[in-house]
Amino acid sequence: MGKFLVRASAFLRKEIIEVLRQPRLILALVFGPFLILLLFGLGYTNQARAVRTLFVVTEQESPLAVQINENAGTISPQLIYEGMTADLEGARRMLRNNQIDMIVIVPENAYQTIKENQQAAFEIYHNEIDPAQVAYIQSLGQVYVQEVNRRVLSDVAQEGQSDAATIQTEVSQARRNAAAMKAALQAKNVEEARVQQQGMRTNISSLALAVGASAGLLSGVEQNVGGPGEANGASGVGSLLDRVQSNPSNSGELAEKEDYSAEIADLDQQEQDLAELETQLAEFRSISPSVLTQPFTSQVYGISEFEFTPMTFFTPGVIVLLLQHITVTVAALSIVRERRTGMMELFRVSPVASGQIMIGKYISYLIFGAFIAVVLALLLYYGLNVPMFGSWYNFALVIFLVLFASLGIGFFISLSAGTESQAVQFAMIALLLSVFFSGFILDLRYLAGPVRVVSWLLPSTYGTILLQNIMLRGSALNLTLIGGLAAIGVVMFLISWIMMRRKMAND
Amino acid sequence: MAVNYVHPSGVNGDVTVEANELTKQFGSDYAVQGLTFNIPRGKIIGFIGPSGCGKTTTVRLMTGIYRPSAGYVNVFGRPPDQFSSQVRERVGYMPQLFVLYQDLSVWENMNFVASLYGMSLFRRGKRMRELLQFVELDNDRYKLARNVSGGMQRRLSLAATLLHDPELIFLDEPTAGIDPILRRKFWDQFQELKASGRTLFVTTQYVNEAAYCDYVGVMAEGRLLMLETPENLRRRAFNGEVVDLVTEQPLNWNDINQLQQLPFVQGRAITSSGNSVRLIVDEASTAIPAIINWVNERQLQVKSVEEYLPPFDDVFVTIVEKARADIENGSDAVTQEVRNG
Repeated sequence: MGKFLVRASAFLRKEIIEVLRQPRLILALVFGPFLILLLFGLGYTNQARAVRTLFVVTEQESPLAVQINENAGTISPQLIYEGMTADLEGARRMLRNNQIDMIVIVPENAYQTIKENQQAAFEIYHNEIDPAQVAYIQSLGQVYVQEVNRRVLSDVAQEGQSDAATIQTEVSQARRNAAAMKAALQAKNVEEARVQQQGMRTNISSLALAVGASAGLLSGVEQNVGGPGEANGASGVGSLLDRVQSNPSNSGELAEKEDYSAEIADLDQQEQDLAELETQLAEFRSISPSVLTQPFTSQVYGISEFEFTPMTFFTPGVIVLLLQHITVTVAALSIVRERRTGMMELFRVSPVASGQIMIGKYISYLIFGAFIAVVLALLLYYGLNVPMFGSWYNFALVIFLVLFASLGIGFFISLSAGTESQAVQFAMIALLLSVFFSGFILDLRYLAGPVRVVSWLLPSTYGTILLQNIMLRGSALNLTLIGGLAAIGVVMFLISWIMMRRKMAND
Repeated sequence: MAVNYVHPSGVNGDVTVEANELTKQFGSDYAVQGLTFNIPRGKIIGFIGPSGCGKTTTVRLMTGIYRPSAGYVNVFGRPPDQFSSQVRERVGYMPQLFVLYQDLSVWENMNFVASLYGMSLFRRGKRMRELLQFVELDNDRYKLARNVSGGMQRRLSLAATLLHDPELIFLDEPTAGIDPILRRKFWDQFQELKASGRTLFVTTQYVNEAAYCDYVGVMAEGRLLMLETPENLRRRAFNGEVVDLVTEQPLNWNDINQLQQLPFVQGRAITSSGNSVRLIVDEASTAIPAIINWVNERQLQVKSVEEYLPPFDDVFVTIVEKARADIENGSDAVTQEVRNG
């Protein structure tokens, strides 16, 4: 056992000495990522890009063109209105020359198209090659068209509210008719009651015709939101109007008789319904057209009180990716260099065993990686105020497992590669795989199922998710992910050990 | 293919390495072929041959770096690929090239090798200092290996090889690139190691170093042409010993012809001038008095007569050329020359 430890310590000491001989490398590995994150945090504005937009309109005097000219600059802060032109080719040329970012072609004969039961399309052109920017332009185009639609609806709503003022007068008149008719019946003055009944019918008929769009708008809101009409089935504008129209006092022929208590009860109900209708119409008029056409808005709150910036979000991924890349690279170069220089011959003749070599190297690189992780974490925590909502013990465990699994991959590369340049190339491929498939940049949910297998073969995938959860969410350890990461480490250790045994055996 | 069976005299008793028909093939090329020899304990065995003749491959086969394609080799009675760590601790190996770590200092490299061999952390210091003093690197121990000369790197390699005090030491061209004074010092140290019972297997391209060996193997084109003591090597290269005769009077053709007819003279006499002739004889010690008598009988006067020891360069070249010629002529001639011990 004593000799086992002495032999393993040969590699531990040697690797650490070699690393310490390169202080600039350590400084670069520690301060490089820190400075990159600092620069990223300072420089990344996280603001939506403003798009220079030119509108192409064939008939520049059309109402739509006039409206665009008046409103385009105020539709969205991300849309910079660059003017209006009828020259489509000129606009395309400007787009190609990067003088503008987007062309919006306003539909010709929009009114006629809509009358023919078709949607009029705004055509949007761009010169983007980045799929993310293409999606952004598409989104901005949709925002623009929605805004145009909203403004059209808003005008409709405004007109509806103007109509509601007239309707309200007729409702008030009908109420007065109902009250007078009730008073006439209580006084058994049938003639007067019939006169008032006729007035009430006339006013309610006008009301039914005039309520049109106003009632439609309010009913639409009620039906979708669950307003009073929907809630109790009685007092919505549409329901109220139906009830008022179908009230017996409004339809039946008034006969002469001794007891009018039933008709008086109906008139009480009619009065109540008309009063309610009047109230609702008053409320409708008081609602802003923009609220009516866009009754809903959203307000988003994270359950964490911390305000996450892109820098804080990327920090766990950067730590994991950096540690993985460093350990993969140093391990990849380690054995291949000893094979190239002939040192492996000395190992094969000496009593040192493959397991002693592997353990010595593993421990030395784990210490090296852990040192970088500790310094980097402290710098990020205290220097850049990156939060740590979870446990530092869990953080340390994840770092250890990321280093352990990455070393296995590095030694596998080192034992597979023929030359140092090959080893570096393989290490770079591992880095590239991690950048694209570990969720560092692209969320894993965007990857197709079979491709995600690649992600789950990379330590950085597990490490990034685990550190994000620990540092930024304060979550407990996800045992499945920890188990997966440990399994990669153990499997790669065993594979590397077996390969090392073979290399140490005779040629 | 003819088999070279070479066997130094008197080595059957205490054998450290035993190779039989040892062959290593890379693809269709033979690196070494049909090597059969024993290495006795406590001797220095030198293998000499031109670059690419198979010396390093032979060392690698004996150290277990290579596995034989045919034949076998036993070291300490067992194949090298079945060495336990205890047996490995008895073997030292100095590779042909410097393989230690360039980014470690001389001392750190020594420390690393000491750890490889499981040497106690507390006892190794004295041994390391002694060896560094011996190879004259004591004052350079804190220099990085990359910052010392090629010769110093060879000295560091040698010190590292001897660090764990091995019984059997394989040295692959240990004196390459080293100045003659230090080279001589190395050989003195090898002699001391031999005197303390160590066995050394040394390869070299410096043919004259054959004189320092107890047995010398001559290799060419993957074959072991001869394994002999340095004296026997000379004798066998020239089919006898060489005597130079110088007379006061010139020797005529008839005199030379009669000299060649003497029973102890082998082959033709070589004349370099009218009164000087070189003869190959069975044994110089008995031939010289007979030659003096022969000269006196002819009323001539001897100016000088003495045994000539050809340099090993000549010995080596003669052996290799003869071997090549024999191979071209059917290759059995090589085998016929070989003597069993």
